[in-house]
Amino acid sequence: MNGVVEAHGIGGQADLPISLELAVSGAVAALVVSFTVLVVAWNRPRYDGGQHPGRPAWAVLDRVTGSPAFAVALRALGMVLALYTVFCAVAGQNVLTNPFFGIFYVWWWVGLVFASALLGPVWKAISPVRTLNAAIARLAGSDPDQGVLAYPERLGYWPAALGLYAFVWLELAYKYPTELGSVRFWCAVYVGAMLVGGAIFGNRFYERADPFEVYSSLIAKLSPWARHDGRLVVRSPLANLSTIEPTPGLVAVVGVLFGSTAFDSFRESTFWVKTFQDSSISKVYLDNAALLVFVLTAGLLFSIGSALTPSAEGLARRELPRQYAHSIVPIILGYIVAHYLTLFIDVGTQTLARASDPLGKGWDILGTAGVEPSYWFSYHPEVLASIKVLAVVLGHVVAAVAAHDRALSLLPKRDQITGQLPLLVVMVAFTAGGLMLLFSA
Amino acid sequence: MQRLRAVGAVLTGVALLASVTACGGEDKASSDDPVVVKITIKDGKVDPSGDRVDVGTGQPIDLEVTADKPGELHVHSEPEQQLEYAAGETTLKIAIDRPGVVAVESHELDQIIVQLEVR
Repeated sequence: MNGVVEAHGIGGQADLPISLELAVSGAVAALVVSFTVLVVAWNRPRYDGGQHPGRPAWAVLDRVTGSPAFAVALRALGMVLALYTVFCAVAGQNVLTNPFFGIFYVWWWVGLVFASALLGPVWKAISPVRTLNAAIARLAGSDPDQGVLAYPERLGYWPAALGLYAFVWLELAYKYPTELGSVRFWCAVYVGAMLVGGAIFGNRFYERADPFEVYSSLIAKLSPWARHDGRLVVRSPLANLSTIEPTPGLVAVVGVLFGSTAFDSFRESTFWVKTFQDSSISKVYLDNAALLVFVLTAGLLFSIGSALTPSAEGLARRELPRQYAHSIVPIILGYIVAHYLTLFIDVGTQTLARASDPLGKGWDILGTAGVEPSYWFSYHPEVLASIKVLAVVLGHVVAAVAAHDRALSLLPKRDQITGQLPLLVVMVAFTAGGLMLLFSA
Repeated sequence: MQRLRAVGAVLTGVALLASVTACGGEDKASSDDPVVVKITIKDGKVDPSGDRVDVGTGQPIDLEVTADKPGELHVHSEPEQQLEYAAGETTLKIAIDRPGVVAVESHELDQIIVQLEVR
């Protein structure tokens, strides 16, 4: 299909929708659990304020992961992966079997999330743009942490939110998401922006403005790992989650992530397919409008829900959404698992096979050319549907608990229960909405 | 601790609820009678437009195409199938073995004709 590129992206066959019974029971469970948490859970903040430093991890693990050699090894791994990806992108063919697409849309976008949830801030450790910035700084004899200017803290995560939106736009709203030239161009702009930003603002820029580092490091707060006083500790993801800083732009980041995943589900529904096919307006315009509406709706609903909660310490209402925004992260992870699990396993495996023959010449460089996905979940759709609903409901429960914990430190004593209601309603709406999308997808 | 236990109990309840409903799905035996999908392609328009059609795994599917000029259908199964049809009436026979949602598209018009729900 030389040059002719399918408009609907990667991955051929889609998952069956979940059954209505399962969607409804999931939504009911979310509702019941939310109110149980509200009424019976602790009434003094448990995790806020860092009362849970965690248990020290196995000493060997602490030594190994804390050693400079380990850090260098991870940087090297990141560089090798990046260079191989560049090789596929530059020398490979413009066909869907080019592993570049799988690496970009599946390994990078989805794999990074799973890896971060299990292992911690993976992108920060392997980020090739950080490595390049460090290398340039070393050549110039300067410090990679220091830039020419200090990063303006008022910008916060806003650049990252913009970058994440640029990614989902390319994947979901651009006309040719699987055309080699456009994806390659996107990557070039990303690397360019990251290197310039790093040179100007130093490493702080990556913490705040690299969309992948921000995404990965937020999801990493759901992993059990942390460093406390320099030591590797194991602790509850809830304790980790409460350490997410209420930075400007955090609400925008979670809005983009949740809204875009919801839109990805929605665009496969019969309703949307019929709408754009029977419309006289081009699909691209409709997709662009709908993606924006989903993202804005997610961000606004959440902002309204949290701004409606009363606050004790004279915190301005517009400050409240970012104080609660960390609690949306588990909902995002739950929904990413539900939505992309099979894509990650099936297309991820396929990509490994294709990566062995990056130029489509019949090579088998990595010895993985023969690997084929087993499609186990396709043949066990009930198991898959249960995992999806459990992931969404579990994400919701963790979110409700995290919001409850934060509410206890923000709400005035007299409003401790009723004050949480607006946010709780929004969360239940998110979860029920997500489940309905899985039902109609 | 008491409260934690209550939360735990609710969670277990959720898990049970989910697993019970998961087993309660109706079993649709796949039959050997073909599912017929009538497709009309005329003046740059396709009918149906994005309908869902339930089929069993391995069940024969007859795509009965009536077209004003020849063209190609794409079946987004794994691997993808490309089926050519002529002007006039053509019956294309397919079957899909793996459960999931498979789109059948008109290549020329870039339109989704039907989405097959294979179970």
